[in-house]
Amino acid sequence: MDDTYGLGSFSLMPSLRHRLTPLWFISPWLLGFGLLVVYPFVASLVWSFCRYDMLSPPEYVWLENYARLADELVSGGRFGQAMWNTGYFVLISVPLSIGFGVGLAVMLSWRIRGQAIYRTLFFLPSVVPVAAASVLWMWLLDPQAGIVNAVLGVAGVDGPGWFNSVSEAAWLPAWFRGIGGFGSKDALTLMSVWGVGNFMIIYLAALGEVPRSLYEAAELDGAGPWRRFRHVTLPMLSPVIFFNLVMGVIGGVQAFTQVYIVSEGQGAPAGSSMMLSLYLFLSAFKDLEMGYASAIAWVLFLIVLASTAALFRSAKHWVHYGGASP
Amino acid sequence: MSSMALGNSVEVGDHPVTTTRAFRMLRVCALLLLMAGLTFLGFAGESEDQAPSTPEGRREVVFWHFWGGRHREIVDDIVRRFNASQDEHFVRAIAMPGQNLDLKFFLSVAGGDPPDLLNQDDPVIGDWAARGAILPLEDFVPAEEIAELEAWLYPAAEKLGTYKGRLFGLCNGLDIRALYYNQDMLTNSGFDGPPQTLEELDEMARAIAPPKSQSGRNYVGYLPDPRRLWAWGIVFGGQFYDETSSQVLVDSPEVVRALEWMAGYAEDYGAEEVAAFRKGDQALAGAAFPLLQGRYAMLMDGQWRVEEMREAAVTARERGEEPISWGVVPLPPPEGGLQNAGWVNGNFFVVPRGGKNPQGAWRFMKFWSGYGGFTKEAAVTAAAGGWIPASESVVKHAEFQAYLQRYPEFRTFVQLAGSPHQVPKPVIPGAAYFDSEVTQAAEAALYRPESPPPLELLRQAARRIRSRLAVKRDR
Repeated sequence: MDDTYGLGSFSLMPSLRHRLTPLWFISPWLLGFGLLVVYPFVASLVWSFCRYDMLSPPEYVWLENYARLADELVSGGRFGQAMWNTGYFVLISVPLSIGFGVGLAVMLSWRIRGQAIYRTLFFLPSVVPVAAASVLWMWLLDPQAGIVNAVLGVAGVDGPGWFNSVSEAAWLPAWFRGIGGFGSKDALTLMSVWGVGNFMIIYLAALGEVPRSLYEAAELDGAGPWRRFRHVTLPMLSPVIFFNLVMGVIGGVQAFTQVYIVSEGQGAPAGSSMMLSLYLFLSAFKDLEMGYASAIAWVLFLIVLASTAALFRSAKHWVHYGGASP
Repeated sequence: MSSMALGNSVEVGDHPVTTTRAFRMLRVCALLLLMAGLTFLGFAGESEDQAPSTPEGRREVVFWHFWGGRHREIVDDIVRRFNASQDEHFVRAIAMPGQNLDLKFFLSVAGGDPPDLLNQDDPVIGDWAARGAILPLEDFVPAEEIAELEAWLYPAAEKLGTYKGRLFGLCNGLDIRALYYNQDMLTNSGFDGPPQTLEELDEMARAIAPPKSQSGRNYVGYLPDPRRLWAWGIVFGGQFYDETSSQVLVDSPEVVRALEWMAGYAEDYGAEEVAAFRKGDQALAGAAFPLLQGRYAMLMDGQWRVEEMREAAVTARERGEEPISWGVVPLPPPEGGLQNAGWVNGNFFVVPRGGKNPQGAWRFMKFWSGYGGFTKEAAVTAAAGGWIPASESVVKHAEFQAYLQRYPEFRTFVQLAGSPHQVPKPVIPGAAYFDSEVTQAAEAALYRPESPPPLELLRQAARRIRSRLAVKRDR
């Protein structure tokens, strides 16, 4: 054997060596993945069947934590409250973000003067760190000293309580009874729609990919602007909308930073901004119930898994992969 | 087997360098870099604290505390005085202001690297004691000293640190609430003094700011704070928890009556308005006292506002303005309620399990709180910080009496400190949950339009607390 490259005895077991070499190269990642992902994943599943306070060893209680979750869900306890709040937030904020994102992207794709400036302006909010944005919005939406209510006041509208109110704007019966208004979750929704720039930039890129020929063909067939949008733009954007929908739902269900900041770390007022991830945090680190918190984490995981799976199932009915079709 | 044989040799200029050797060099470099980084981090941490290193021959006491701002300097001064007063121990103070110190502390105990001493004010002694995260004082203090200490402390200060009859925390300062009032606003509405009873408080509040007369008003007579159901429940003659029988009494008639009374304000002024007005207080620059802004004619708050009010008066006079005339009185009770009653909390020391120098910690705890011959030191400390001492003997010391001369309104709080009706939140495992359930029920009653009646809210809260505590007790 030619030993120009110093293979020497190494050549005795080339196949094993070949197989091991890449493992060595990825070993730092493997180590990190094992310690920081696989281990916590498995450990939290085990702990969700335990009573565990991080100090004394975990003690198996099997389904007790899950039974407690079920009880709190049924009796309207804090877990039930957190489920409702999270659901409300996701169901309102994700469609709104998609609607505004697509709308903005379409408008920003129009060739108008100052296009680049508008694009930058609308993208800017998503560069602001969540913590800073939260504090900013707390000031803007302060019911008494905030600029939003000041502007509304000039227009003769009694501004809502925003982060200090338990109202739910999308809960229509309240409006009929005269107690409707915008509350903490609606303010959080507003915040997330404001930060829609990340989604928008993806739509913009996708819009640029739509072949001109499709629009020309549609125009020749007599389609007006709306029909071109409805039957060309939207179907061509659907894979990207689908991606943003999935990411939005996952992000929304896990929303923590902004919730923690605006709700004073307690889901205030009156638990109206108690979201699942905040409840998880409080259970683990304030009530020192790591087992119970792990159970919440697993429920959270299952919700994310189930909703993602459902979205993927629905995708075949409305997502069009232009290039991939046979 | 030579390294030449093992590795692939690569010609670099005149010197053949094997990849193995190159890797070895890389590894050494990486290690060196890592060490340099860690050393740098170590130094960076050190310089940030600016803590002097422990002198030779002294035993270090690593002391975490939650004091920030102006108080941090006062704490540093206490530490300096202590370190100069003896040559056996050396306290190294690490300030951790902001939220979640309780969490950092607990994790440090769980991780096996706790400080030697902690000072903070969250109601966590029950949880930590039940889990063995902190030591009972009897583990490092002789029994006769503990008995003496218990008699030395104010009853409220003793209750704050006691779990299942054993002292786990040493209170070094009480926080007491009373009713501040703006006499100018009272006078304008025809009242010549503060309310003595709850009925008078209601009457004044509604006379100063008639309900539903005007929206967007930027002042009120009085508004209850949902977090203070803990105080009003006691004033109404109630109890939230009976430690001897382990009974949750959140839905007892007195507490329900207190919440009904509080909810009456939301009914009269509107839940949304009450919530918005309350939030407006927090928007004041530097968390200024809203009484100073004329937002309230009467407002419940703690003793720390006395100095603020006095300083504001000085500033006003310097500007050539007339300072507001004000005073502070104990919470006015309803008929059949309790005088000098309310909710008390405080700052306390705890010694973690796994701490390396409990004796040094104990010495410093005494120096700060005043027990065991440190009355004078403690009086100086309390006067510097504007704190209510944990024992009457410190209050009586000339140094603190001089402080009371300077701040006569502070006397109201000091007198309340000795009252048997100043009650802390229950010292039990699950206290945080207990607390948040009670506060949430009160928030719902005040801020949520069309919420269930207070009785129902408190019943639901009590049911949940009972089931949660039952789980804790199973352990």
